[in-house]
Order: sequence, then C-alpha cells, then structure tokens
Amino acid sequence: MTPQSFKKTGLALLVLTALALPLILRSPTYLHILIMLYLYAYMTTTWNLVGGFAGVLPLGHSVFVGIGAYTSTVLWLQWGISPWIGMLVGGCLAGFVAYLIGKPTLKMRGAYFALATMAFVEGVRVIVENVDQLGPFKLNGPRGLNIPPLPAGEGSLLAFQFATKEPYYYIILFMLMGVVYLTWRLSRSKLGYSLSAGGEEPEAAEALGVNVAKCKVTAMVLSAFLTALAGTFLAQMTLFIYPKSVLTLDLSFELAFIALIGGRGSLAGPIIGALMLRPVTEFSRIYLSATLPGMHLILLGVILIVVMLYQPRGLSEPLTRLFNRLQDRICSTKTGGAK
Amino acid sequence: MDFGGLRAIDSLSLSIDEGQILGLIGPNGAGKSTAFNCVAGVYRPTSGEIWFDGANITGAKPWDLCRAGLARTFQIVKPFASKTVLYNVMVGAFARTDKTDEAEAIALDILKSLHLDHKKDFKSGALTIADRKRLEIARAMATKPKLLLLDEVMAGLRPTEVDEMIDVFRTVRDSGVTIFVIEHIMRAIMALSDELVVIQFGRKISEGKPEAVAKDENVIKAYLGDEYVAS
Repeated sequence: MTPQSFKKTGLALLVLTALALPLILRSPTYLHILIMLYLYAYMTTTWNLVGGFAGVLPLGHSVFVGIGAYTSTVLWLQWGISPWIGMLVGGCLAGFVAYLIGKPTLKMRGAYFALATMAFVEGVRVIVENVDQLGPFKLNGPRGLNIPPLPAGEGSLLAFQFATKEPYYYIILFMLMGVVYLTWRLSRSKLGYSLSAGGEEPEAAEALGVNVAKCKVTAMVLSAFLTALAGTFLAQMTLFIYPKSVLTLDLSFELAFIALIGGRGSLAGPIIGALMLRPVTEFSRIYLSATLPGMHLILLGVILIVVMLYQPRGLSEPLTRLFNRLQDRICSTKTGGAK
Repeated sequence: MDFGGLRAIDSLSLSIDEGQILGLIGPNGAGKSTAFNCVAGVYRPTSGEIWFDGANITGAKPWDLCRAGLARTFQIVKPFASKTVLYNVMVGAFARTDKTDEAEAIALDILKSLHLDHKKDFKSGALTIADRKRLEIARAMATKPKLLLLDEVMAGLRPTEVDEMIDVFRTVRDSGVTIFVIEHIMRAIMALSDELVVIQFGRKISEGKPEAVAKDENVIKAYLGDEYVAS
C-alpha cells in the first residue's frame, strides 16, 4: 500500500463513517451534538481562510455569522423568501461588508487589525440590540427573531426546516466537506501561495509580484461569504436568533481559539480543535452556566495558554506526525519493508 | 532624495544598458541603499524620475515593478522560513503564470540552474546563510526579470562562498538578465561589473570601467582618506 492510497483509504473511511453515523446513533441529542460540532468546525475552517492563510487574526468573525442569520431570517419572516435564497443573499451581503471593513483594516498591523474587527462586531451588535427596525427590515432588537416552526412532524426543503435532525446533519456535513475541499484546493493555488507568502513576509512577497493587501481582502470576502452561510444554517437549526447569540465576541473568540489550538492554517486543525473544544463549551454551559456564565471562555483560555506553551503551532502538527508514523508502519509492512 | 531635512542623494544620475552588470559602490552612509530602494519602489524620490524599459516607473508599487520585469533581493534575506525551498521559488514563479504545475516546473528549472534542486524540500529557515542568499536570487529569477537588483548579496559569506556566488552572478547574466548590484566586497564587484559608479555623501564621484575607477583619486580619497592618494 502506498502512502497515497493509505491516505485515500483513511479519508474514505472517515467520510463513510460520518455518512453512516445517523443510522447508528439514532438519538437526536447525539445528532445535535455532532451537528454543532460540524458547524463549529465549518465556521473555523472559513475563519482559517483569513486567520490561517492570510496570517492576520480576525477576532470579529461572528459579525458575518450574524449577517447571514439575520438576512435569511428577515427575508423569510417578512417576505416569505426561502432561506436557501436568503442564505446566498446573506453571503453576498457579508462579502460586501467584508470588502468594506477589509480594505482599511487589512493594512493595519496584527493587533490593530484584531481590535478593529472586535470593535466592528461589537458595534453591529449594539446597533441591532437597540433598533427595532432598520429601514424596512424588522430586526426586533434584543428580543431577537423567532422563526415559527412548521407543525410537528412536518418538514419542508423550501422552508429549510425538517422534522428530524438527520437532514440538518447531512446538510452541515456536506457544507463542512465542501469548505475543507475548497481550502485544500486553495492551498495549492496561486492565491493560496500568495496569501501565505504575504502573511509570512509581506515585503518579500510584494517584491515577488504579490499584491498582498488585495489578496488579503479577497480572502476576507470569500471567508465572509462562506461564514454567513453558517449563520443561516444556525438560524434554521435553532429557529431563534438574537444579538447575543450570533453577533457576540464570545463566538468570535471561540472560533479563534479552536483554530489556534487545533492548528492555524491547516486543514485538519479546525476539525481537531472543534472536537476538543466543543465538549468543553457544551459541558461548562450545562453544568456551570447557572453559577458561572462565561466559564467556558476561561477554560478555553487556559487550554489555549497550555497549548501555546507546548505546541505553538497547534495540535495538528504532532497529530500529523503520529499519523505519518502510523502510515509508514502500515505501508512498510505491506510492501515488505521497502519505502 | 530627501528624508525630511536630510538630503540622502543629491542629483544622482545613473543609467544601465541591457545585458550589463552595473556596480554601485561607495563608503558607508554614501546613499547606496537609498538609491537602490528608490529604484526598487520602496521610496518615492522627492525629486527626479526613474525610467525602466522606456516607461516612467517613479513611485510604482513593488508588485507592479516585478510584473514589469524588475526584481530585487533583500540585504537581510527574507525567506518564507516555515516553507520549503521549492515553495519559496514557486511564489516567484506565480508572477508569470496562474497555474500551479507551470509554477512548479519553472521553479524546478531555476533551482537546477542555481544548483539548489537537491535541497528543494528543505525548510528554507534551516538553510545556511549562503544557501539562503542563493535562494533569494532563485526566487527573484523565477519572476523572469529583465533587470535584477542585488543588494549586498556577498555580505556575510566566506571567501569560498563568495567565489560560488560570483559564479551565480555569471549564470544570471548569461541568461540575459541585466544586473544592478550594490556591494562592499571589492574583489567580487571588480571582477563582475562591466561598469562602476561610485558615490559619496549622496553624490557621484566617479564612474567608468572598474580598472579606471580603482585608480581614480577621488575614489581612493573617499575610501582611504587623503594620505593614501598616490602622488
């Protein structure tokens, strides 16, 4: 077995397992946990396009989640437009906003860029919290927007609502596989090379023909579009969105933490990170939120510090090394020791 | 070129012919790096113009200069340290193509001509300083420049490495690239340059063939002081 076929087999097994899981785990609770895990892995993968590749630290990415969620919800509630279309509209709107924020802020040095993105999401959140209506759009302030559920047992593809968890599971799974594939293709493309070069040594990259600022803005717009799609998904899953659920710094930080702990700029990093950190958030929310709300962020912070001390590039590196060792062992045995 | 109240370069006029190697030398603080950076698009000259291949490139952005065929290296080398040698050169190659396999082919070609291909999968941060300098040139060559600006490439190299680098220069020149080089290592620049320009305190004090410049009184005075002028 060659290393390539080992990797391909491993990947195929992983995908098949993921596809088959709902047939094995029939409990909606477990499915919900998996769905949220895939959702966070998805959002972190799209975050990675800016935070991993472009080498800057966006700490306000939840603003795109919020734009996606609010756009599709408002379009559905007020005009009956299918959330699928709302999803695309939200994506385009998020991309446009990313272009507007990106142009001035991506010229700033690392810490200032992070602060600017934080300020932006907080600003948007405060606006949404304090206005009931923005022009013709009813945003309902802090009370949030409720999507009336379809009668129990009914599902509709057009309305993006389903009676059971399975359809949601498969949708987010395909979305996740889609962005991971996109990230993989990007890393092997001219834009990918230009982005990571510009992130590592901008002066050198510019001297080699890379318009670093333009590449970063492109990455940001692409990332925003894809992140907004997750916002719509979240809205349709939970049927209730309000400023503190989709426009919060908490969510922005969590995405950054997952990426940093899992491995910034790597393909598996967001998934590894989500696998490790989502349980922390969920359990601290279940057991501690009554007494210590926000505790999950403290725990994530501690984990981040520990990981940064011992594996600053994230956990995907040592795990990749383990995988390679396993691969070598299996491939050598199969081919009789020849490598 | 003025930096606030300091005039770093005063009425400097340079020209390079295609296929030439032009060396710019002068004592420390003469303004060589400033002149270099004006040409490379890092500084916009406060007065004066820069023309390349029939076009006015004064104040053009570095990436546009690269597209136009003007490449540069950095005195303090800037490899993409976390990436492989091949990756580094491919970034340069992408200046001329959009396809990844084409960029890879161009990069491998350049690496072979500069004898770095056996190290193509090494992490560039782990290379020796001599190899890093070679990589710096390889990267710039991958952008298929017409003019290559080399900024003190020999600095920090041992004598044998300097000899190897002289060979690299010759390979570059033989491939048809014009070279503008700033250097302090005299034997290298004397051996390589077709023409030399000497500046001191931001002004040109001599220019011409290396042998003539070496005998020029003004040049000797600038480097060694009045007492050393042969009478």
